[in-house]
Amino acid sequence: MTAALRLRGLVSLLFVLLVWETVSRLGIVPSRYFPGLAEIAAGAAEMIRNGELLAAEAMTLGRAVAGLVLATLIGIALAVLSDVSPFFERGFRTLTGLLQPIPPAAIVPLAIFGFGLGLKLYIFIIVMVTIWGPYLNGVAALRAVPVEQILNGRMMRMTPAQILWHIKLPAALPEIFAGIRYAAAVSLIAVVVSEMIAGRDGIGYLLVRKSFSIRIPETYALMFVTMVNGVLLAMLVNLGRRLLTGWHVKQMGYPA
Amino acid sequence: MQDGPILEARDLRKAFGAGAGRTTILDGISFSVREGDFVAVVGPSGCGKTTLLMALAGLQPADAGEVRFRGRQVLSPPQGLALVFQDYSRSLFPWKTALRNVTFAMRGPQGRAAKAARAEELLHAVGLGDALHKYPWQLSGGMQQRVAIARGLASESDLLLLDEPLAAVDAQTRADMQDLILDLAQRFRQTCLLVTHDVDEAVYMADKVVVLSKRPTRVATEITVGLGKARDQIATREHPDYLHARHEVLARIRAFRQPVAP
Repeated sequence: MTAALRLRGLVSLLFVLLVWETVSRLGIVPSRYFPGLAEIAAGAAEMIRNGELLAAEAMTLGRAVAGLVLATLIGIALAVLSDVSPFFERGFRTLTGLLQPIPPAAIVPLAIFGFGLGLKLYIFIIVMVTIWGPYLNGVAALRAVPVEQILNGRMMRMTPAQILWHIKLPAALPEIFAGIRYAAAVSLIAVVVSEMIAGRDGIGYLLVRKSFSIRIPETYALMFVTMVNGVLLAMLVNLGRRLLTGWHVKQMGYPA
Repeated sequence: MQDGPILEARDLRKAFGAGAGRTTILDGISFSVREGDFVAVVGPSGCGKTTLLMALAGLQPADAGEVRFRGRQVLSPPQGLALVFQDYSRSLFPWKTALRNVTFAMRGPQGRAAKAARAEELLHAVGLGDALHKYPWQLSGGMQQRVAIARGLASESDLLLLDEPLAAVDAQTRADMQDLILDLAQRFRQTCLLVTHDVDEAVYMADKVVVLSKRPTRVATEITVGLGKARDQIATREHPDYLHARHEVLARIRAFRQPVAP
């Protein structure tokens, strides 16, 4: 079951590469602007050789992971606060509606003015665009905890804090993780876009530099790297999900 | 232990809503449970059995009247009172195995190993010795309710409240579970208060049946079932005392259908 599903994932990747190569060879698009896989791979190899790629990759992934972790913790904390205080929930709901639609690129100028060009810039942008998944899912999941489970806690004479920690949070965790998975992809988008606009390093910055100097195979190679990053981050989130909500993964019966 | 009743409900009243839409649910409920008793509270659907149970457990107080547990007024869930819910699929913790669900209910200072050993013993007692490490969703409905019952026993409470624990299981499982609960109550000397809408179940299981009327709900009558502790699905249900008690309960429910003004 697991192996078959993994294989299917591999097959769809091969399919994408096959379509790319076919389009390239057919010459529908001038091959200068649409190089084949071999040329792209050579571009990637060159960037690995001179150290550019790994340095940029470390920056980008590091920022995405740090931002995602922080955004998740803040999102869950706000969800708990919303669950405890209906007053806060109602006020914050309006704020959610206002802040959630802001695209990462539109926050960049504000972030530069506020935080300069360092790590804080990226963390701020990622948090602003990624807390919504964990937050909104967290609020919904905490509200959906069966009342019987909470009453059980009360019959065991647990304090509200104990009920939150031992009953409500574990019950809500699977749905929170669904929000984190969504947030992971958004986090990568936010990092690369910020690097493209305001960066001095990272994959986004490298991508802009390569495309401005018309290094087309390298540009595409970097685009593929952003895809791989998505897979890497999803794997990381899944690892956390297995560690913390292994029971739910088993219950669902598939390696999502 | 003291001589008085372990649980006493005195003139409990509860209404929901306001103004013209105000509905009286409990209209003065009084009864008591003595140590060692198996008491069944039986009443029709919608008569406020769950409301009554919430008040008895201290989870949601009544508007008037009082509940006394071991002589003390109940305002919040007291120590020594456990509750098994009707909907096992919502009351068990799906992230804990059967064993962990049971040990979780042990809030005492005993060590982890002692708790696990006791939980194992209880799960064996409910017939789940080979499902200790299964998650609730890996078990059938009847097995899940057995876990919930083992968890109810685990807190070593002075009184176990059972809220229609068998309403969601099939007929055959239901009969088996009735006998299991009776057997466990005997073996662990567990005082029980069973709430059910099923007259046959109430008479079959209980030493005393508290019969509730329709809304606004009052105690229609209390009937002592003179069958002794040993019950049998075939013999008991044919026993004259069982049939007599059953007849009494049904007749009282019918007589109470039209509530008379006091």
